[in-house]
Amino acid sequence: MWKRIPEQIRHLVVPIVALVIIYFVARHFLVPPTFGLWGHYRAASVVQNAELPLKYAGSEACADCHSEIASTKKGGYHRGVACEICHGAAYTHTQDQEKQKPQIPRTRANCLLCHEYQPSRPTGFPQVVSESHNPLKLCTACHQPHDPRPPHPPKGCDACHATIQRTIAVSRHGDLVCTTCHEVPNNHRLSPRGNMAKKPQTREACGKCHAQDASASKEIPRVDMASHGGKYLCWECHYPHMPGAR
Amino acid sequence: MNAEIARLYETLKLVVGFIYPNEIELHWNLLIVIYPYITGLVAGAFILASLVKVFKVKEVQATYRLALLTALSFLIVAPLPLVAHLGHPERGFEMFMTPSPSSAMAMFGFVYVWYLMAVLLLEIWFDYRKDFMVLAEQEKGYKRLVYKVLSLFTKDNSPAALSFDKKAVYAITVVGIPSAFLLHGYVGFIFGSIKANPWWSSVLMPIVFLFSAIVSGIALVLLIYMVAVLVRGEEPDMACIDKLASFLFYMMIVDFSLEFLDFVHRIYQSEESIQILGQMISERLFTSLIVIQLILGMIIPLVAIALVKMFKWPAEIRRLSYFIVALLVQFGIFSTRWNVVIGGQLFSKSFRGLTAYKMAVGGVEGLLVSLGFLVLPFVILYVLIRWLPPWEKEHAPSVPNR
Repeated sequence: MWKRIPEQIRHLVVPIVALVIIYFVARHFLVPPTFGLWGHYRAASVVQNAELPLKYAGSEACADCHSEIASTKKGGYHRGVACEICHGAAYTHTQDQEKQKPQIPRTRANCLLCHEYQPSRPTGFPQVVSESHNPLKLCTACHQPHDPRPPHPPKGCDACHATIQRTIAVSRHGDLVCTTCHEVPNNHRLSPRGNMAKKPQTREACGKCHAQDASASKEIPRVDMASHGGKYLCWECHYPHMPGAR
Repeated sequence: MNAEIARLYETLKLVVGFIYPNEIELHWNLLIVIYPYITGLVAGAFILASLVKVFKVKEVQATYRLALLTALSFLIVAPLPLVAHLGHPERGFEMFMTPSPSSAMAMFGFVYVWYLMAVLLLEIWFDYRKDFMVLAEQEKGYKRLVYKVLSLFTKDNSPAALSFDKKAVYAITVVGIPSAFLLHGYVGFIFGSIKANPWWSSVLMPIVFLFSAIVSGIALVLLIYMVAVLVRGEEPDMACIDKLASFLFYMMIVDFSLEFLDFVHRIYQSEESIQILGQMISERLFTSLIVIQLILGMIIPLVAIALVKMFKWPAEIRRLSYFIVALLVQFGIFSTRWNVVIGGQLFSKSFRGLTAYKMAVGGVEGLLVSLGFLVLPFVILYVLIRWLPPWEKEHAPSVPNR
């Protein structure tokens, strides 16, 4: 039977079978025994990682001893910020409170990691331009880091809405004050998230200046409020902070 | 300042509009441009070889073996840019040890091995087996042993055995055509399946890759054949060269139509990315896409071959035209790969800004290493030609009958 197979095939089969055998033998020795047990990875690596020395204790461990600070923090804006984000990894401190003291960051740079002004940060997130914001003072001189409310309410909207303020300042709406369009509750500056400012909910808000019969300056573009835009609110198509933008 | 950081600062100056911080530097660079370019040449050269065996195009017989050896030498180099880009070559074998079928990238090894082992090496072996036996008889010393090992110690040179070789070559070529499509279609698929990137995400991508691969492969074999004939001082087979040019012309028309279809489709769809892609083409890819890929690499070669065919110019002018055309096509297809790989990373996923690519000269991912990877296949091809002569006349002596 074997001899009836053409010589070429017989001679080819040998290296091919040898390669296949080498492949499976190599797999047998090289693939770790726990590979694929739970997924496409070596299961034993999970155990190895779990055995690595702990570095972080977690906020709950901090609260066990520092309950007063924990309850202050719980009601403040930093409630979502874990203790070890500012104080550093503190597992060793939980094991030996006397000798292993966590760091207490006192430099401005530490707070500015999150609060330096950056256009990509979400609008409303408290940001400062550090060069002009009390440059010689430590942040902690005015702000209590465990409950970091501003020492006094911000004066203008731009304290929090800097990106919008910068955008609108160079737009055709640059002359308008924010309250021309936004209804702002009294306590918005003290507790912004509990007292949200409102966007205009009617087309007439824009119509005050842009309707055909509006009494505003003649240079302001007019539209026929009855036919223009249909059922949509104006700001669903036009961006009021930069009305010229496309 | 460290050179990498200096380059980052240089790139930052070229950024326009808004881009995310991790988009400033390109993660897939020149090496990843070379990878699809080289695999394309492999697939293209193989398809050319299949013209002789499967589609019985007798005129290009002279380039059959040359095309196979070209495909092999480029295939050997094809994974090297990937390994150089990834680093840690010592971990490369792990994708064979623990295959991950849900990842297209992780399956590269199997696509590659299938094409190398099951198609190219087998076809070359069956085609050269008679030559190996003849050369083992003619040569002396270690060369004799090498040829004996290469022939896998087969001795059967009966007409029945040789006819079996021919049938095997035919069967392997038939399997090889879809395999070549798989190899390069796979490379296109890797890009085409990245749905977050509108420049890449297109079902046409594997097909466009495939046809541009065939174009580049035919042009490369045409170039190598013409140079080889010149070096060997032989009379070129004009029928073969004309036929190659014709196939190059047809394939370029298909490739051009596909790319044009892709272009029209994108414009007509006008998805939200269209503005930034338009800006990218006019500001960043103008030279590489409009000038090199479209005008130099596509329109001028098409017009040149059409003119040559129409006016039936004398052989020498035809040869010169084909040579220049084939060279331009190489630049054009390289630019195509460049525009896909680099272009896909130049615009921000916010669709609001563009970054720029600053190529390094030194280092593993630099220009010099990349040039090395482009030269290496020719060195391998030279060695292969020395050991496995592809020329018709040299394997004319008949096998001594045992």
